[in-house]
Amino acid sequence: MIGSLSRTTPVIVQGITGRMGRSHAVLMRAYGTNIVGGTSTRTDMKEAAGVPVFSSCADAVMETGAVASVAMAPPEETRAAVQEALAAGIKLIVTVAEGVPLHDAIKIGRAVRRAGAVWVGASTPGLAIPGECKLGFLPDVCLHPGPIGIMSKSGTLSYEVGYRLVREGLGQSIWVGVGGDPVKGVRFADLLPVFFDDPRTKGIVLVGEVGGAEEEECAKAYARIGAKKPLFALIAGREAKEGVSMGHAGALVHGESGTLASKTQRLTEAGATVFGSIEALIDRCARDYRFDKK
Amino acid sequence: MLLIEADGKALFAEHGIPIPAGVVVTDGVPSLPGDGPWMVKAQVPVGGRGKAGGVVLCHSRTEVEAAVAGMLGSRLKGHAVDACLVEQAAIGQERYLAIMVDAASYGLRVIYSAQGGVEIEHSASAQGRLCSPHPGAVAEALAELIADEPADWRDQVAAIGKALASLLIQQELALVEINPLFVSASGCVAGDAKVVVDLNAVDRQPRIASLIAARPAVYADACRKIAEGFDYVELDPDGEIGLVTTGAGLSMMLIDELTARGAKPLNFCDIRTGQMRGSPARLIRVLEWITARSSLKAVLVNIFAGITDLGEFAGLLAAAIEASPRLHVPVVARLVGRNAAEARRILGEAQPGMLVTEDLQEALARIDAIVGAAP
Repeated sequence: MIGSLSRTTPVIVQGITGRMGRSHAVLMRAYGTNIVGGTSTRTDMKEAAGVPVFSSCADAVMETGAVASVAMAPPEETRAAVQEALAAGIKLIVTVAEGVPLHDAIKIGRAVRRAGAVWVGASTPGLAIPGECKLGFLPDVCLHPGPIGIMSKSGTLSYEVGYRLVREGLGQSIWVGVGGDPVKGVRFADLLPVFFDDPRTKGIVLVGEVGGAEEEECAKAYARIGAKKPLFALIAGREAKEGVSMGHAGALVHGESGTLASKTQRLTEAGATVFGSIEALIDRCARDYRFDKK
Repeated sequence: MLLIEADGKALFAEHGIPIPAGVVVTDGVPSLPGDGPWMVKAQVPVGGRGKAGGVVLCHSRTEVEAAVAGMLGSRLKGHAVDACLVEQAAIGQERYLAIMVDAASYGLRVIYSAQGGVEIEHSASAQGRLCSPHPGAVAEALAELIADEPADWRDQVAAIGKALASLLIQQELALVEINPLFVSASGCVAGDAKVVVDLNAVDRQPRIASLIAARPAVYADACRKIAEGFDYVELDPDGEIGLVTTGAGLSMMLIDELTARGAKPLNFCDIRTGQMRGSPARLIRVLEWITARSSLKAVLVNIFAGITDLGEFAGLLAAAIEASPRLHVPVVARLVGRNAAEARRILGEAQPGMLVTEDLQEALARIDAIVGAAP
């Protein structure tokens, strides 16, 4: 689903009449995303951001044929937004809210899995196929079509990586912010097959963080599926204090699990390369993909 | 976020999980709970207290008083010890029991080990089961794990497991762990309590909110987050570089890179420019906290603005600097994104001499020069 997104994929914005919803709908449209409508509880608005406003996802899907949704809902309303989208038959849901309660995320994950849909988030700037479309608010200044697939727990750190790749004349094939929460939709390991199957992608950049076991899971999957494309990793949080969460609920180290050492070791053993600084990662990409520069 | 043991045990008691008789002391030792021996335990929200000297077995009041006096006011694994738990030492064999959210399966993981009291990573006998997030499913999983345990106390462990599952689900916790769980025919009791709460759920979990609010010194970062709506964590009270940054991942990476270059970051910060709504108040607050530290040598502002208008942000930053009388060190601003040129112009006029750049490496090099660190 993620790899086949394009400028023709019909997308709705849930919560399109809100401050965030409206401004991001405008920005997504300007980027090229085929925003076909939105939903809102406000009955007085028939149009926002230049597209029709519906009172429910079911109506929006029936009228527009939308298959994907960007839920611009606050954290405590994200679960309801996802349930509504799933009930309407939406197959890809991006939830951007930061601070979705952990047990809500579990319920969302179970519902998405039951429905056979794909969930990206929460706590994510979304995803993009540069040159085609973006679902969420990855900054345009960081986006450019190119050979590198990005998957990231952190929004801002991936902006930094994307921006510097663009400044080097490089760009991205598929960019997915998996989000900084521990319980989430797609995880790093789920995206390996997406990047492997995507002909545009020549190399993969994983932007991770201490805490959780996603990087380790990804290392295991990388070794199991076979290292079909190079995997470069940058992991934030070397200096994180044990037991102290820095911003992201998922970035929490307890004892030995979730440490930078554990992640680095597993990824390296699986054949990935782990970098100690942003600059080192960018230098390597610039060197390896110098013939792909534009 | 990890609760201190005393708070975890308070939740245990409310959910019918037996705990030893105990008392929390913050200065002198009052009457001791029951007969000895007693355990004296430093109340800091971090694991591995035993190895670090934060758990002491005492056989007399004199020993208890000495242990308490030694712990109070000291630092343990980076945390100030403001309180000790003095409790009756439990007896029995030691077991391990934990229930936690399993992120990958959207369920719970139940772990049981016949070897308690040791770090679970090093316990060969630890067994785990995944199950759906319902007390009944946890009970079934645990029943399998304890099937070979003696019948004279097995049902008590099962009951504790059921209570732990209800606690985790009702209070929306990330993890509940008892290590050691003392087991014997005369009763099972939780020797320790490790409870990890979800700060994103405190708005609808009044009991958890009240535990955090009752100890503003112990849970300083959480209290600040709840009160202010953004993240600020002091990493090193003797730090030299104050960070005014946005984004958790990039801020963490900056801390790593500054440290690798020999600089000492003071704080972590995810200031969330999108929530400022035209007011410099939040920037002033952060500058106030940062400039309270006399070791400060420079402030690094790093904003990657996907959405935020940097022109507007620059105006707020200039106003905040103006309103921070204690700020006497250089400010270096790395601003990239929407309207960066306008931001440079505004700050250039308001703060001549301040480095404002779009290049992170240039900003880091300036910091190196200010603190005299070797790049």
